[in-house]
Amino acid sequence: MAAGEFEGGKPLNGLLNALAQDTFHGHPGITEELLRSQLYPEVPPEEFRPFLAKMRGILKSIASADMDFNQLEAFLTAQTKKQGGITSDQAAVISKFWKSHKTKIRESLMNQSRWNSGLRGLSWRVDGKSQSRHSAQIHTPVAIIELELGKYGQESEFLCLEFDEVKVNQILKTLSEVEESISTLISQPN
Amino acid sequence: MEACSEPPLDAKSEVTNQLVDFQWKLGMAVSSDTCRSLKYPYVAVMLKVADHSGQVKTKCFEMTIPQFQNFYRQFKEIAAVIETV
Repeated sequence: MAAGEFEGGKPLNGLLNALAQDTFHGHPGITEELLRSQLYPEVPPEEFRPFLAKMRGILKSIASADMDFNQLEAFLTAQTKKQGGITSDQAAVISKFWKSHKTKIRESLMNQSRWNSGLRGLSWRVDGKSQSRHSAQIHTPVAIIELELGKYGQESEFLCLEFDEVKVNQILKTLSEVEESISTLISQPN
Repeated sequence: MEACSEPPLDAKSEVTNQLVDFQWKLGMAVSSDTCRSLKYPYVAVMLKVADHSGQVKTKCFEMTIPQFQNFYRQFKEIAAVIETV
């Protein structure tokens, strides 16, 4: 395989982008042939395939270990020294790519590993109730809260809840307990 | 959390639910098959809600810490507004 065919730069960056879309962000329809024809049209398929596999493997390793920049440099340097590894130009492109996409990839990995519903949205309004025919209540305000919940890759489900002032304050108290737990967790050394 | 003892009798209870119970836990995702180094904390919530007929359902969901903080902040806003209405 002529290393020159696979030098770094725009095609490699484009390839890494596409690999991230496919592997982490669940974007459909990204095929090997599409990538080869769009990014490396002069490279024959039998040469492109192992190259693609190598890049995908490197990206997955970096993401799986959630590498910081020191680990990343050490890892990529080792890859440049390996037989059948990468060039230092390619290492530079991969490094730059990870630094700018790390947060988004990590977020996708987090979403993929959550098997419960996530909270996708919250909207609310407060109604002031006045006296009604059936009830002697006068002017009891009510909060209507709509939670948008959804599992990864599935459509949202909406849950509508009604709270009076007492209940809102009860929940606030519970939420402050949660926040206290979070503070305790964060303040503890890893 | 205690159930509201006087459920509202108006039409909107057709669509809305009463919160009967709110349970929570703070978890830490450590590792998974797709990511060996996940390391993120999350808040898991289990709600018990009753519809207008009194039937109780359980709803579970998770929030990242920033999502939880936004959730908490919204509830504080609701409390501030409901107090003034």
